[in-house]
Amino acid sequence: MPLITITGLKKTYRLGRVDVPVLRGVDLSIAPGEWVAVLGASGSGKSTLLHLMGGLDRPDRQRGSGGAGGEIVFEGRSLADRSPRDLDRFRAKSVGFVFQFYHLLPELTVLENVGIAGMVLHRRRGRFRAERVGDRARALLAAFGLEHRLAHRPAELSGGERQRVAIARALVNEPMALLADEPTGNLDRATGQRILDAVSAWRAKGGQTIVMVTHDPEVAARADRVVRLEDGRVVGG
Amino acid sequence: MYQALLTRRYLTSKVMPLLAALAVMLCTAMVLIVWSVMGGFLVMLMESGRTLIGDVSISSPGTGFAYYDDLIKRLEADPAVDAATPMIEGYGLLQLPASSGPETVVIKGVDGPSFERVTSYASTLWWRPLDKPLPKDAKRQDPRLSPDRREEFARFFAEGSTLTARSRAGDPVGAMVLGVEVGGYNARQVEGWYSPVVFLPGDTATLSVLPLDRRGRVIPDQATKVLPIANHFRSGLYDIDANTVLVRLDVLQKLLKMEATAAIDPSTRAASVTSRDPATGRESFNQPAATRLAPARITHVLVRAKSGIDADTLRDRCKAVYREFQRAHAADFDPPPPEGGGVRILTWRDRNMTLIAAVEKEIYLVLFIFGIISLTAVFLVLAIFWAMVSEKTKDIGILRAIGAGRLGVAWLWLRYGLAIGVVGSALGGATALLIIANINPIHEWLGRNLHVTVWDPRVYYFNEIPSRFEPLKAAIVLAGGVLASVAGALVPAVKAARMDPIRALRFE
Repeated sequence: MPLITITGLKKTYRLGRVDVPVLRGVDLSIAPGEWVAVLGASGSGKSTLLHLMGGLDRPDRQRGSGGAGGEIVFEGRSLADRSPRDLDRFRAKSVGFVFQFYHLLPELTVLENVGIAGMVLHRRRGRFRAERVGDRARALLAAFGLEHRLAHRPAELSGGERQRVAIARALVNEPMALLADEPTGNLDRATGQRILDAVSAWRAKGGQTIVMVTHDPEVAARADRVVRLEDGRVVGG
Repeated sequence: MYQALLTRRYLTSKVMPLLAALAVMLCTAMVLIVWSVMGGFLVMLMESGRTLIGDVSISSPGTGFAYYDDLIKRLEADPAVDAATPMIEGYGLLQLPASSGPETVVIKGVDGPSFERVTSYASTLWWRPLDKPLPKDAKRQDPRLSPDRREEFARFFAEGSTLTARSRAGDPVGAMVLGVEVGGYNARQVEGWYSPVVFLPGDTATLSVLPLDRRGRVIPDQATKVLPIANHFRSGLYDIDANTVLVRLDVLQKLLKMEATAAIDPSTRAASVTSRDPATGRESFNQPAATRLAPARITHVLVRAKSGIDADTLRDRCKAVYREFQRAHAADFDPPPPEGGGVRILTWRDRNMTLIAAVEKEIYLVLFIFGIISLTAVFLVLAIFWAMVSEKTKDIGILRAIGAGRLGVAWLWLRYGLAIGVVGSALGGATALLIIANINPIHEWLGRNLHVTVWDPRVYYFNEIPSRFEPLKAAIVLAGGVLASVAGALVPAVKAARMDPIRALRFE
């Protein structure tokens, strides 16, 4: 059974008085443990697709399963059937986002930036959970070669280090899927490759599903499968 | 919780929240200082107002009541009563030496020793030898500090306590003690001491009163007496100190014809005015065959409560004792009942209600005004938080992306407002406590270095700025500060919670 099944997904943004359709009916199925690269030009709707898959945004006029805006089914359950609270928990537990511009919280240290995702998930579950989250954050950061940077602030890190922190944050709650939006888009080639190596190594151990949006064919080539998004529709893969 | 971590980090890494905390601090400190000073002023006023009136007074104005010794005996036997004293209160005219005309004054006839037991009256006597100067009298200019005049002041104090002075012949005679502001003979100085323009103790003044008979009718004989001035008193209430004269009780009783007198028993009155002696044939006036003693009268009995008894309880006890007294003397002179206005039994608070109520209203008005001013803190916190939420838009998007819910984000900002309120209120409370504890040294420093004297004892009737720090009031004000801060954070918190996470993540 696929981990993620997307059927007829549509998303339209309104710019002033004009409706701009971004996704015009995307159909996609992703198996558990699969690494899928979504390739497409700027403005093709790659990031929008990722946001919808992660429950950060809702498809058009979605009113239950199979509505006019299409449907996203994650692990056999439609995201449309989830309450806002359920969706928050889904984002915290089942998926991990990685963004092109890292999106770390500038006031927190490296360790806190990774640990905060665990704190959000385990809101009121006591000290034991908090300690476990802390241990896991340390282990992840060590695995990404950042054990000497735990007390540093994001402003004190290089771009590659920041992205590794962002990936560690995405993985700290052991999500089933990593949703990465141009994770190497802001890095030089060598650093980008090291980031992808790290992700690849981690996936080899944990077996996570990865959906990686990119416009770089070389990056996409690292995936098991490449899906092309053109004009709001999947045209390949 | 992640909110606690972010609150701590935001609080320590930004200047803006510190400005919001500063606003809360200033507002809470301002309200607390004003409330404490006004509260201290009210307490001082109430304490001054009760200085010469005891805890409860039983009064029958005008005619007064007799057998007061028995009433006092009954009162002092009650477990709620510490002491009781008789008093006459009326109006009269006072002609002071070197004064162009008489002044209308309130005259109180008191029995020195028992009046002292009930009112601690001796502590109000002004002319007495002093060892320590008043707090502001650093130059020791108060004449009472003069070692050369110790004996003289000790005599004035003793004479004032008993309201008894020596006549020129050396005999003890009833004397009077004037309020320190009566006639303007004493000039109040900026340090709080009095410089006598004319030193009155030892001199005499003429007192005129209008006596009433036992039925409250005016006796058409003005009674005038020249009395020595033994001392001055200072109760702390200008109105009392400028218009009141204390006279020894027996002297005033005589002047007002309220002393014990021989009375004709109507049943023994002869049928005719004169009679002729059958043996000598001489005619003479008939003398009443029998007389009885009409007891002395007073207008007030002042009562002091035992320690731990409040004035209202004491008033109820006094009413009960007075009813027994009324029943016991129904045949003698039919004392008026305590209900219906014949006899008034009032606590010190009831007697000063007009004054206390006015000051209490003033306090509420001032607090209301300052409360409105303090509302600016709410808007300041709102403005600062609004700007911070805008600045932290991306953070909000990130938090939503990692699973934080709308309520969680709202609680982050409310908690942040709460933290700023707690920090601001705590600092405000500490600042207020510091200022209240040192308000007089601060005021003196301002006067000395900047020549700013806000409370001049020559104008205001207190030497030191009163203040009273009450934990309950502080708790109310500090809780208000915290609430104001949370209220200010509410709208930005809702804005943060309603933010679209996608737009937030794309915010630059």
